[in-house]
Amino acid sequence: MANFLAVAEARNGELRKVAHEAVTAAKALAGGGDVHAIVFGAPGIAAKAAALGECGASKVFVVEHDAFAMHNPEAASATIAAQVKAGGYRGVILSASAHGKDLAPRVAAKLGVGMAADVTAARMDGDAIVASHPVNTGKVVSTITLSANPAVVSVRPGAFTPAPTGGSATVEALASAADPAASRVKTTGLTQGNTAKLDLGEAPIIVTGGRGLKAAENFKLVEDLADAFGNAAVGATRAVTDDGWRPHSDQIGQTGRLVSPDLYIAVGVSGAIQHLAGMRTSKTIVAINKDKEAPIFKVADYGIVGDAFEVVPKLTEAVKAARANR
Amino acid sequence: MEQMTAGNFVFAAILLGAAGFFSYNAQRLARYLQFGKGAETSRVTEMPTRLRNLLVIGFAQSKILRDPLAGPLHAGVFWGFLVLTVGSIEILLQGVINGFSYDAFLPKPVFALYTLSQELFALLVLGAVSVLIWRRLVTKPKRLQGPGTHQAEAVFILSMIAGLMVTLLLMFGFASARQHGMEPGLHPVGGLIGRAFGGLSDGAQFAGFAINWWAHALLLLVFLNFLPYSKHLHVLTSLINTFFSNTSGPGTKGAMKPMDLEAEGVEIFGAKDIEQLSWKNLLDGYSCTECGRCTAACPANLTGKLLSPRKIVVDTRARLLEKAPLLVAREENAAPVAHAAHGDGDAHGHTATGEHVAVAAPDPAIEALLGKSLLDHYITEEELWACTSCRACVQECPVSIDQLEIINEMRRNLVLTESRFPEELLPAFEGMEQKGNPWSFAPGDRAAWAEGLEIPTMAELAASNDTPDILFWVGCMGSFDDRAKKVTVAFARILKAAGVKFAILGQEEACHGDPARRMGNEYLYQVLAKAAVETLNGYKVTTIVTHCPHCFHQIGKEFPQWGGTYEVIHHSEYLERLLREGRVPMDEGDGERLVVAYHDSCYLGRYNDVIDAPRETIRRALPIVDLVEPARTKDRGLCCGAGGGRMWMEEKAGKRINVERTEELLATGADTIAVACPFCMTMIADGVTAKGATADVLDLAELVAGRLAPEATASAS
Amino acid sequence: MKIAVCIKRVPDMDVKFKIAASGTAVDETGLKFDMSDFDGYAAEAALQINEKLGGGEITAICLGPDTVGETLRKALSMGIDKAVQLKCDAVPFDGYAIAQALAAELKGGNYDLILFGRMSIDSSNQSVGPMVAELLGLPCVTAASRLDVSAKTSGTAQRELEGASETVSFPLPAVVSIDEGVARPRYPSLKGIMAAKKKPLEVKPAQLGAATVTVTRMELPPERNAGRIIGEGPDTVPELVRLLQTEAKVL
Ligand code: SF4
Ligand code: SF4
Repeated sequence: MANFLAVAEARNGELRKVAHEAVTAAKALAGGGDVHAIVFGAPGIAAKAAALGECGASKVFVVEHDAFAMHNPEAASATIAAQVKAGGYRGVILSASAHGKDLAPRVAAKLGVGMAADVTAARMDGDAIVASHPVNTGKVVSTITLSANPAVVSVRPGAFTPAPTGGSATVEALASAADPAASRVKTTGLTQGNTAKLDLGEAPIIVTGGRGLKAAENFKLVEDLADAFGNAAVGATRAVTDDGWRPHSDQIGQTGRLVSPDLYIAVGVSGAIQHLAGMRTSKTIVAINKDKEAPIFKVADYGIVGDAFEVVPKLTEAVKAARANR
Repeated sequence: MEQMTAGNFVFAAILLGAAGFFSYNAQRLARYLQFGKGAETSRVTEMPTRLRNLLVIGFAQSKILRDPLAGPLHAGVFWGFLVLTVGSIEILLQGVINGFSYDAFLPKPVFALYTLSQELFALLVLGAVSVLIWRRLVTKPKRLQGPGTHQAEAVFILSMIAGLMVTLLLMFGFASARQHGMEPGLHPVGGLIGRAFGGLSDGAQFAGFAINWWAHALLLLVFLNFLPYSKHLHVLTSLINTFFSNTSGPGTKGAMKPMDLEAEGVEIFGAKDIEQLSWKNLLDGYSCTECGRCTAACPANLTGKLLSPRKIVVDTRARLLEKAPLLVAREENAAPVAHAAHGDGDAHGHTATGEHVAVAAPDPAIEALLGKSLLDHYITEEELWACTSCRACVQECPVSIDQLEIINEMRRNLVLTESRFPEELLPAFEGMEQKGNPWSFAPGDRAAWAEGLEIPTMAELAASNDTPDILFWVGCMGSFDDRAKKVTVAFARILKAAGVKFAILGQEEACHGDPARRMGNEYLYQVLAKAAVETLNGYKVTTIVTHCPHCFHQIGKEFPQWGGTYEVIHHSEYLERLLREGRVPMDEGDGERLVVAYHDSCYLGRYNDVIDAPRETIRRALPIVDLVEPARTKDRGLCCGAGGGRMWMEEKAGKRINVERTEELLATGADTIAVACPFCMTMIADGVTAKGATADVLDLAELVAGRLAPEATASAS
Repeated sequence: MKIAVCIKRVPDMDVKFKIAASGTAVDETGLKFDMSDFDGYAAEAALQINEKLGGGEITAICLGPDTVGETLRKALSMGIDKAVQLKCDAVPFDGYAIAQALAAELKGGNYDLILFGRMSIDSSNQSVGPMVAELLGLPCVTAASRLDVSAKTSGTAQRELEGASETVSFPLPAVVSIDEGVARPRYPSLKGIMAAKKKPLEVKPAQLGAATVTVTRMELPPERNAGRIIGEGPDTVPELVRLLQTEAKVL
C-alpha cells in the first residue's frame, strides 16, 4: 500500500483520455493507497479536474496559469517533482504521450532517480515496481524492475483502460514551483489536427492500391477506406505511379517511400520484390487480392482472396461502424 | 631527272610549312592526352589480339560494315584513301623533285596496276562521298543528328574529299590527253576524261594539268592540317585507338577497372574532369566520328532519356580541348618558377599549380573556364544515371571507343566523392551493406526457398569432409524474389534429376556487390566482393553455376581482381551441356508447339558472348518449338532496362525501356518469352502486364523443368 | 557552433531476435550493429546547422565497450570532427545512470548545442537527453521534427503530438533530441570514410551513475502466424475487422 501521484494531461483546456489512463495505472499500483492527480492548464481547467475522481483519484491538484495554456515542461516538471517530494508519494505516473515522454525524464532527473518508460503493464513486487516494456521496436518484451524511490513511470497510451470506480475527487489549487512565465523553453503555437494530407512516413495506417484497381478512378475506393479510418494515408505501387494514376510521391517501395505503419492494407497489390522492400516491416499487414498466389499474401498477417471492388466497400462500412462505436 | 625549278622550291617551302604545322598539332594533341592521369592498365599487352583488332576492326572495317548502307560507303572511302595515299606520296614528291614517278622504280606491270588502282579508287571514293553528302543533306538519318554533332563541318570535309578526287581525276585526264609520261600505265578513267581535252592546245593541256596538280596537292595539305581541328581527327587516330582499345579484348570484356581505394593523398575518386580520366578515355574523344551508332543503339536514348553515349564522348573531347590548352599555358608560365614542384602531376590540382599562376595574376575568364568541369558543365547527373550499362554503345562503336567506361568513372565520382545519387539508391546501398542484399530482406531467409528440398549447404558438406561437383550460387533475386525463387527451385530440380552433386552456400551467401559497383559505389563493392571471395576460397570452390547473368559476370569475370578464380558457368550453358550429354531425364513426347522468343540478357550476350547456348537449350527442351527472333537480337539485343543499377532507380523520363523491349518481343507473335536472367524476368513480365498481353514469361530452367520426365519430377520434389 | 551529438550503437532490428542464455538480454551472435536511427538524424542535423552557419566543431560521443569505435567512425565519416568513447563494459538500461556519465563528459565542453536522437531504438526509453539537460541545467526540447538554429543564441523547433503539432522557441546553449523528419542522414562518401580514419577518437572511462532500473527478464512476444488467408470474398470482412480489433489491436 502506497500513495501515488498521477500527472493528468490536458490540452486546449480539456483533459485527454490518457489522463484517465494515468490515474487508472496509478490506482492499480497504489493498491489500497491514495491516488492524487495533478493537472496543468490555463485558468478554468479546475472546472474539469473533478472528473478524474471517476477513475480513482481522491484529490486533484490544479496548477492554473496563463503560461500553462500550452505545454510548459520546465515549470511543470519542477512542480511535479516538488509535489512528489512534498507529498511523500511512492511514485509518480505519467502517460507515455508526446508530452508525458517529455516530462517524465525531467521529473526523474530532478528527483535523482531512474525511470520506467512506456510500460504496458506494471505491478508492485515487494519494495520494487515490476513493469513490462517493449524494446527493439516491439520485437522483444523486457520485464524491468525499478527499485528507485520515489519511482517515475510513464504508461503507454491505451495499455490501461480507464476503469470507473465511481469515486469523486476534491480539487485543490496548487502554485507552480517555478514561475511558468519565466521558462526558457516556450511553446509558441499549437496546430490542432492534421487537416492537411497525412504524410506516408507518419501515418499510423496506410491503404495502398495496386494495378489490381485497374484504373485511376478506382482509387476512390482506397481513398474512402482511408477516410473511414480517419488517420490513414493513401499509398500506391510503382506500377501505378508509373502509369500516372497517382503522383510519384505516393509510391511505396524500394524506389519510393519506405514505411512501417501500425496497419498496412494492400488492395490489388501483387507484392513485387521492390514493393515488399518498402512495406514489409509494417506491424500488421492486410492484403486483399483476387489472385491467391500473389506474393503479397506471403507477408500478410490477414489475407482476403477476393475482388477489391466487392471487399473494400464492405470493409469501409465496417471500419466506419467500428469507429462510431468507440 | 630534270633540274629543280622555281616551282619546286615554292612547293618544297609550302610542304615544309604544312608538315611543320601538322607535327605541331600532332604534338599538341599528344600532350593534351597526358593530362589524363586516371589509372590505366598497360595497353601493349597481348599484342596478337591487338594486331588482330587492328586488322579486322581497323583495316577490314568489320564494325563499320555492321551498318548495311553507311558501312560499305565508309569502308569504300577508307580503303580508297589507303590506296590513294600511295599516289599522294608520289604527287607530293613530284612537287619537290621535278618529274618524279614510281615508274622509275617499279616493274612495268606493277606500275600499270598502280595507275589503274589510283584511277579506279579515286572514282570509287568520289562516288561514295557523293552518296554520303547526299545522305547528310537530303535523307538526314536520325543518328547523325543530335547534340554536339558538327553537321556543317561534316559536309565541308566530305566536299573537300570530293574536291580531292575531282582534281585528281582531272589531273589524270589532262595527263592522258598530253600522253605525258603516263603511257606505261593503265588509265581507263583518265583516258576517258582525256578525250574531252583532246582538242585543247598542248599549252592549255599543260596548264590544265598544272592547275589541277597544284589544286590537288594544296587541298591535300589543307585537308591534312584541317583534320586536327575537326571531328575528322578520327581519320588520324581511329586506327591507333582500335589498336589500344580493350573493348573486344584483350583483357576481360566488360570488366570494370578496380580502383585503389587506399591510395594516399587522393582527393577525387572517380572522374569529375578530364584529369581523372585516363589517356585512353581522352584518345576515345579524339577518335569519335560522331557517327551516332552508339546513340542509335542506346536503350536509354531510344526511349527518350537525356543520355546519349555519343554526347558523352564528344563532351569529353570538347572539355579536353577547352581545358588542356589552358593547362599547357599555365604550365609554361609556371615552368621557370616551379620546376621542382612539377612532376607529381596536378591530377587534383588547383593548390599546387594554382599558386604559381597567382604570380602571373590570374585572368578571371580563364580561371572560370578552369573552374568548370566535365561533370555538371558538360555531362549532367541525369545523363549518367540513365545508363543501364547494357554495352550496346561499346558493341556498336566502329572505332572501339569505350563510352561506358567514361560513364562508370563519372558515376564513381558522384558516389564516392560527392555522395550525389538518386535518393532511391540509399536503401539499396544500405541493404547491401547491412543485410547482404539490396532490398534489405532478412539474411536468415536467404535459403528459405530450399526448405524441404534437401539441398546441402557447403558448410554441411565441409563438416563431413565432402565437396560437391558444383556450387549453385543462387543470387539475391533467386533467393528473395518470389518469381525468381520459382526459377531457383526449377533449376535445383533439374540438377537433382540429372544427378548432379551440388551444394549451396545457404545463409553464407551474400551479395557480391555487383550492383554497387555498377552504381559507382566501388567502396561498398570491394567490401562485399572481398568477403564473398573469402567465403568461396574458404571452401576451395572450383566450379560455380548460377542462373543470374550478373552473378555469372561478376564472379567469373571480375572476382579474379580479388583473388577469386573459379570456373563460373551460367545455367543456360550448363543446361545446354546437361541436355546435350543426355543427363537430364526428359519427357519422351514432343510436348506443345510453343512460339518462343528468347530475350538476350546484356550480361550474357554482349558481355560474355553467351548467345547460342540459351537458344540451343530451348530447342532441346522443346523439340518442336518455333523459335522466333525479335528485331533487335543476339549481340544487338535491346536491354530490359534493369542493368547498371537501374533496377533500383526510378524511370521517370520518356517511355519505359521494358515496355519498349516487351513490345518488340510481342511483335514476333510469340506466345512465350524466354529469359535467362531474373532481372530480365521482372522487367519483361512487368512489360507484359503493362501491355495487357497474355504471353508467358519463363526462364530457361522453367522450360526445361516443365519437360522433365514424370518419374524424375516425382523423385526430385 | 560547438555541437555535441550523443549516439548509441544498437543492433539491426530487421531480424528475429533470440534471447541470450542469461534470460535478461538478446543473444547478440550474428547481429549487425549500427548507429541508432534517430541518432543518425541528430548527426545529420548537427552537420547541416554548421554547414549553414559556417565553421564550428562537432563532437560525437558514444558510451560503451570498444566495439562502439566503429559507430563513432561512421559518425566521423559523415563529417563529424571528433569522437569520444566513454568506455564501459556494457551500456546500462537505466537512462539516469547513462545520463550521469554523459553529463560528466559534456559539462566542461562549452557546447552551444547538445543533440540526441529522440530515443535509442533498442531500449526505447526516450529519457537520456532530457535527463542530461536537467543535470547540466540546460533548456531542453525533445523529439524535434523540425529544428531551426540560425544564430548562436536561440532556436526554434517543431514537435509532433498526437494529432497535433506545436512550435517551441528556446535559448542556447540547449539540449535537443531529434525525431525523424529533420533530415535524412547523409551517405558517407569514400572521401569521408578515408578522412574519418585520421580523425581523433578519444577514449575515456565512463562515470556511470548507480542503476536503479534493471532488466530482469527478456522474452519474445507471442508470434502471430504470418501469411494467413482468412477467407474469400466480401463475407470475410466482419472476421477481418474482428481480428484487427482483438488480435492486432489496430482498430
Ligand atoms: S551502356 Fe547502354 S544504356 Fe549505357 S550509354 Fe551505352 S548503350 Fe546507353
Ligand atoms: S562513340 Fe563511336 S559509335 Fe558513338 S558516335 Fe563516336 S564513333 Fe560513333
